[in-house]
Amino acid sequence: MSAAGMRCPACGSTNIVDDDLYSQAQLVCVDCGSVVSEGVLANDPVGGSDVSFSRTTAVAKRPCTNLIKGELLPSKRSFSLLLQCNSVLLLVHFLKWICFTPTGQQRVKAICRILMVNREIEDLSQTYYKMAYEHKAFLKVSLQKKEILTGCCVLLSCRQLNWPITVGTISCLLDADSMAVGAIYQEMVKNLSIEAPIINVTDVIEAHCHEYKISSLDVPEELAENSRDLTKRAVALVELAADSWIVTGRKPIPIMMAATYLAWQSLKPNKHRLKFSLDKFCQVAKVKKLKSAMKRVAEIKEVLCKLGKEIPWVRETVTPDNVIQLVECILQNRYALLRRAMRTHEDALLEESQASCAEAPPEGTASSQISECADQTPITSFVKQNGSNSDGKEKPGDVDYNPRVLPEHSDTQESQNPPPNWGKRVLFAPPCVINAKKRRAVQPEHTDVTGDEEISDSEIDSYIRTPQEARDFALMQHMLSLSDSAKS
Amino acid sequence: MDSSNDEALDIIITNVVATFRTRCHLNLRTIALEGTNVIYKPEVGKVLMKLRKPMITASIWSSGKIICTGATSEDEAKLGARRLARCLQKLGFKVRFSAFKVVNVLAVCSMPFAVNLINFTKNNRPIASYEPELHPAATYRIKNLKATIQVFSTGSLTVTGPNVQNVATAVEQVYPLLFECQKPLAKT
Repeated sequence: MSAAGMRCPACGSTNIVDDDLYSQAQLVCVDCGSVVSEGVLANDPVGGSDVSFSRTTAVAKRPCTNLIKGELLPSKRSFSLLLQCNSVLLLVHFLKWICFTPTGQQRVKAICRILMVNREIEDLSQTYYKMAYEHKAFLKVSLQKKEILTGCCVLLSCRQLNWPITVGTISCLLDADSMAVGAIYQEMVKNLSIEAPIINVTDVIEAHCHEYKISSLDVPEELAENSRDLTKRAVALVELAADSWIVTGRKPIPIMMAATYLAWQSLKPNKHRLKFSLDKFCQVAKVKKLKSAMKRVAEIKEVLCKLGKEIPWVRETVTPDNVIQLVECILQNRYALLRRAMRTHEDALLEESQASCAEAPPEGTASSQISECADQTPITSFVKQNGSNSDGKEKPGDVDYNPRVLPEHSDTQESQNPPPNWGKRVLFAPPCVINAKKRRAVQPEHTDVTGDEEISDSEIDSYIRTPQEARDFALMQHMLSLSDSAKS
Repeated sequence: MDSSNDEALDIIITNVVATFRTRCHLNLRTIALEGTNVIYKPEVGKVLMKLRKPMITASIWSSGKIICTGATSEDEAKLGARRLARCLQKLGFKVRFSAFKVVNVLAVCSMPFAVNLINFTKNNRPIASYEPELHPAATYRIKNLKATIQVFSTGSLTVTGPNVQNVATAVEQVYPLLFECQKPLAKT
């Protein structure tokens, strides 16, 4: 601003000169000495800051003091670095460093920005956070829970608007235990009465595959893989795993890790890649290995072997070691191979049952023989029923699982050894059924207890020490405590 | 159970928890000294006493409140509780067996089919919840029965409720819902 045409607000004179104080420009009135105006001390970069205000996580106005714990003062440089970061882990560290004690709303915004979700999800999560924060169930919870609540709001809005994200990612961002996150998430959903769809593994796997640093920029050429091909192959493997009982009820992340590893190996199944263990692969891809991923790899390989056997043109025996080369072929024709495998298995079972029934002495009609061999119950027939139980089926029924309809046998098997469970009969079954733990046989003599019976003295006396025993016990305890104190 | 199908569902009760009071103060040190099969936990302030005949573990507090766990039926729990009270009487305490109540019953049951948990949760949205990352089973809570059912994809159920009648009713209620979401065992 030029000195000409200005009036001093104190005395009204127009005699104003430039009188810089060190590096700061100042306009000073000569008559009274008051400073009319001054320039800025520091210069902002030309063209505005690197991070535009709308993309920062600073909020313009403050909500009520209850929601405030501290001030967020990010520097411009840290923000530009933040937005350039690809790795989520690095972002977590930045988040902790720059967000000294952020407000809840700011944290929700920060999480949304890190995950790079769209505007809708961000707004929705802010709304949910406000609702949840003011709900009476969350008013008096600990600060740690309130922090976890921010992540849960983001998780909920992502699920509702079809943005695939796992609980594991949120707990990693918040640096909290995933069980704690899950518990608060479920409480929040219950209290706010919101319905959220469940996530499908196949949706999340794309995001998961992107985390692996396996492109040609990060690793040498022979180990590199295009992210798109990797994702496609991994999705096919996960779908196959879902069809064969490996996915149901399991945590999704180890399955995705196993699928990604096998996909990577099968895209170029040369000796070099096949020698790579899961450990090494995770090291190269800079991903933290999970213990259960090894088991999933073994399970998926087993399924692939079962299907690989059905390929008509494969002559040699298919083992987990050489099945990787066949993976592409198996995945392309997986439905046909599944059907073939099922049919082969059924035929084999039928032959087996006919053979074993032919050996046993013939009793009754042929059809009842077959049904006897084929019948089974999943739980033993030692049934424990209460007299007042209205369900009172005294006689355990035999249940037929096989989709072929066979006549049910009404005479029960009070078998001493329980019949094989359905896991052994069907080709694909969940591993917990195939390797079922042996159940301890329940004593059946408790069915006639009434609760009001006479209790004989002798029974009770067995639970009480005689005076001599009590004295000995006390003496021994005293001696033990003496020796303990002598030792220490 | 529906009379239309011949299948019988076996509900096996694995645990019954009951409480009762002795209406008198109990000296835990005396019990620990003179009772066999007793574990004294002074840091928590209770004594654990195990009975053999009905396999029951009882937590005894000095106020006279006792919790019995491990019975396999309500009557067995009552018998065990009475045995315990008798035992304490013999130890010299003026025990009056009162306020016996079965608090929790845990039962397992197995469906003759596998269950598609995702469909089951979708069909029964607010009552059922399923988070595969946290727990492999879907949880179904029946409010009026105060029962919780955990449904596993293999068709196994774990039911907890305040008494055996509720548990049985809960299984009856949930059976048709599970039936419509069943998964064929032979995948095509």
